[in-house]
Amino acid sequence: MTFQDLILTLERFWAEHGCLVGQPYNSEVGAGTFNPHTFLRSIGPEPWNVAYVEPSRRPTDGRYGDNPNRLQQFHQYQVILKPSPLEIQELYLDSLRALGTDPQKHDIRFIEDDWESPTLGAWGLGWQVWLDGLEISQFTYFQQCGGIDCKPISGELTYGLERIAMYLQDVDDVYDLEYAPGVRYGDVFQRAEWEWSTYNFEKADVALQQRLFDDYEQQVHALLGLKAEKGKGGKLLWEPWADAAENEDAPLKRLVLPAYDCVIKCSHYFNVLDARGAISVTERQRYIGRVRHIARAVAEAWYAQREALGFPLLKGAAAEAAE
Amino acid sequence: MPDLLIEIGVEELPASFLTHALASMESAAADLLKAHRLQAEAIQPLGTPRRLALRLAGLPAAQPDREETVQGPPWSVAFQGGEPTKAAEGFAKKNGVAVAELKKVETDKGEYVAAHVHEKGQPTSEVLAELLPQLCERVRFPKSMRWGEGEHAFGRPVHWLVALLDGAVVPFEWLGLTAGRTSRGHRFLAPGEVELGSAASYEMDLRKARVMVDIERRRARMEEALAEAAKKLGGELIPDDFLVGECVHLVEEPFVVPGTFDEVFLELPDEVVISVMRDHQRYFAVRAADGSLMSRYLNVVNTANDPERIARGNDRVLRARLADARFFVEEDRKQPLHARRPKLDSVVFQRKLGSIGQKVERLANLAQEAVAGAEHVHLEDAKIVQAAELAKCDLETLIVFEFPELQGQMGRFYAEREGIDAGVALAIEEHYKPAGASDDVPTSVLGAVLAVADRVDTLVGCFGIGQQPKGNADPFGLRRAALGVIRIALEGPLDVDLAHWLDRAAAVYATQGHDFAKSRAALDGFFDGRLKSTLGADYPSDVVDAALSAWREAGAHSIRDLRERVDGLMTLRGTAAYEALAHAFKRVFNIAGEHAPGELDDALLTEGAEQDLAAVWAKAGGAIDAATAKRDYATALELVATELKDPVDRFFDDVLVMDEDEALRANRLTLLARIAHSVSRIVHFHKLQPQG
Repeated sequence: MTFQDLILTLERFWAEHGCLVGQPYNSEVGAGTFNPHTFLRSIGPEPWNVAYVEPSRRPTDGRYGDNPNRLQQFHQYQVILKPSPLEIQELYLDSLRALGTDPQKHDIRFIEDDWESPTLGAWGLGWQVWLDGLEISQFTYFQQCGGIDCKPISGELTYGLERIAMYLQDVDDVYDLEYAPGVRYGDVFQRAEWEWSTYNFEKADVALQQRLFDDYEQQVHALLGLKAEKGKGGKLLWEPWADAAENEDAPLKRLVLPAYDCVIKCSHYFNVLDARGAISVTERQRYIGRVRHIARAVAEAWYAQREALGFPLLKGAAAEAAE
Repeated sequence: MPDLLIEIGVEELPASFLTHALASMESAAADLLKAHRLQAEAIQPLGTPRRLALRLAGLPAAQPDREETVQGPPWSVAFQGGEPTKAAEGFAKKNGVAVAELKKVETDKGEYVAAHVHEKGQPTSEVLAELLPQLCERVRFPKSMRWGEGEHAFGRPVHWLVALLDGAVVPFEWLGLTAGRTSRGHRFLAPGEVELGSAASYEMDLRKARVMVDIERRRARMEEALAEAAKKLGGELIPDDFLVGECVHLVEEPFVVPGTFDEVFLELPDEVVISVMRDHQRYFAVRAADGSLMSRYLNVVNTANDPERIARGNDRVLRARLADARFFVEEDRKQPLHARRPKLDSVVFQRKLGSIGQKVERLANLAQEAVAGAEHVHLEDAKIVQAAELAKCDLETLIVFEFPELQGQMGRFYAEREGIDAGVALAIEEHYKPAGASDDVPTSVLGAVLAVADRVDTLVGCFGIGQQPKGNADPFGLRRAALGVIRIALEGPLDVDLAHWLDRAAAVYATQGHDFAKSRAALDGFFDGRLKSTLGADYPSDVVDAALSAWREAGAHSIRDLRERVDGLMTLRGTAAYEALAHAFKRVFNIAGEHAPGELDDALLTEGAEQDLAAVWAKAGGAIDAATAKRDYATALELVATELKDPVDRFFDDVLVMDEDEALRANRLTLLARIAHSVSRIVHFHKLQPQG
């Protein structure tokens, strides 16, 4: 099974199981969780089932294309089922069967692995899934997102596509994977790994990244009307709208989606600065706190906006119950 | 006597959750039964990652009837003008009796209303149907989660409920599920539903569905399979309690699949290979007959229909992991260990106490100062400084970042490979010892000096900033640190002059601008507590108190000196004279303990018994003091027993200390005070309890 067959099989499988087939986000993300399909849609009462590939960037994991297992950009296959159905584990195992992996012939185990994203103010409980000792997926029940308690709960399945493909194709080096017939993974990405590793570790202009971080952070404040300082217990403080009459409409006036893109940018520039070795231990915590602050603001603004819109995806009985 | 079986079917619970949940379930079951006037002959917890179960064995068929007189409000509140008030009606209703049946009872506090309650016992099955949802509700986890609509919280999502009283279903509902007799088999080996026959056949029924629900049997089976597999490989399993505890709860039926890694990885330190296998993959390591690590491992799995395929997959994962570890070690070795020293200046030890770099500076100074001029310690200052400077450097290596439990061991490994003095390298590893109650103390003097310095620095610093342990909260591990110092002194190669170390540590902190003089009394008290509990484990507590009190008064220097006092007293305690001696010297202390031991006037000794005692004292006193000064407490106490006891007894029999003549009285007190003063430098007899 080629790398692209793997993706196509998962797309087909999850589409047949009621998921909207989403697309990767067009901004640099560290994981599929950052895609608005996950981060924003996990917030609030509306149901949501989606599946998509996410090219994910981890600048510190770069190895200049030399390491057979580590990449600064790899691919996740991300599935969100909200609310999480009771048969979610069986669905997941069925997806492995669709990939030609018979659970009877392997050792599949669910190993405790709680997930937390300090920058997104999100955490959940769940497992890593081991296939013959190889961690092939991350399985998480989201408990909080952007500091907001999730209800209903999203079940998140994240497949590590390169790892699964290496297992299925029985190769030891990621660059030897067959991406498409006649095309190796290395043909597509090895040069990119060298360039991006060199950029992230050696060449990225530190002052530029810092400035970009500051500017995008500033932009979130402006777009949402968020004050830079925090209230008691880290509470978010909002600027009153200039025109008092407009305050009622504030949830619909805030440009939540552009603001969220700025959060993604900040998170990315933080990762580059980290790879570049430009952040000390104490500064690190402050940067993370700053991203979390604006991520929380986006989450709250998103919730308020959806509420103001009457939670459009709630239908029938669910909508009545919510009212 | 029916048995109840309850099973809660869940998604895979972590090992720690399972243990925690079953313990809470067991105690909740006992409490709930008691509250419902029921009792089981035995409560047996059972479980796998996918099920929590309890068997309540030997329940009565029904609750006993309840006959009880319940006291209510004061009579004057319940009846006014002979008419029942709302209080009376409420009380009667609550207890299921008519108002007319209420009685008047006399109590110490006056007249009260009482009701005689007679309640017929319910059949056990009915009581259980009411009690079991509460039992489910009271299962506790280290962390709970919600799922689906997010209405409920539990350790993991709940899928099914079973409740059988012998062969009959106890119907109850919880989380929208109805309890029945349908369980599930092994997720992969016997997927699907299993109809359970009865509470008694639970284990057998599930065994057929490839589930071993009895934890001890599952563990025994797993350990047996591990030992057997190791033997087949021509080696021996390296025991690992942590892994056993984890693995037994990662499977419903245990199988062992052996695997192999490339021998080139054996060039890595054994600890690294073992940590990679254990922390990342939960594999057991195997050693050969000569003790060397084998390039084989044992993997406990949940299914093993195709062991070769499973081994191939695991081998591949381990190869990548070991290659990573080797990469880390190679990278680490590109620079000498000391190259990390400057980085420690930006790692926080404690906000108010500064960086690890500052701690390292203090360690170097404290270790040098504390042992300067100490007997039996011959260390070059340069070695002490080098060991202190290198002790924490491995915290900044890639391999320790990846495997924090290898701190110290990797520092030693890198230092040895660099050709650093073997004693210094050993001290880097040993300064973390003892890491816990079951760990050994350092074997080398330099390691012990550094270990004590590290702990004393932490203790003095944390007490200085008011971070001493409170209740169960001991975030800096100060109890363990103090215990480490005591154990190093008592079991290790270095005696610890406690007062001196604490003084020096405070002085070293002063050079960094801290004034921690005020917290010293609290720290002394803390050490007293730790010393009492450590020595109290081996010696009677009053003996420890008697020695500790005298040791403290003498300046609380050597920790070994304290134990020598305890041992001296224990030698005496074995003799017939002990009890009477303790009694006699308690009297001496009580009468003259507060009196200043001045000059004795022989002319004022009028009675025979006091002249004898003074003569004995003149002869033996010096020998006792000399033995005490030499820390030969057994001899000193033996002299007290053989020389002084009888004269003291006769003195108390024949002489009236509190004579009317003030001069005589003062002289007698002086005699006793001088004796008391000498003896109290050995142990404090007045702290001893009479033996039962």
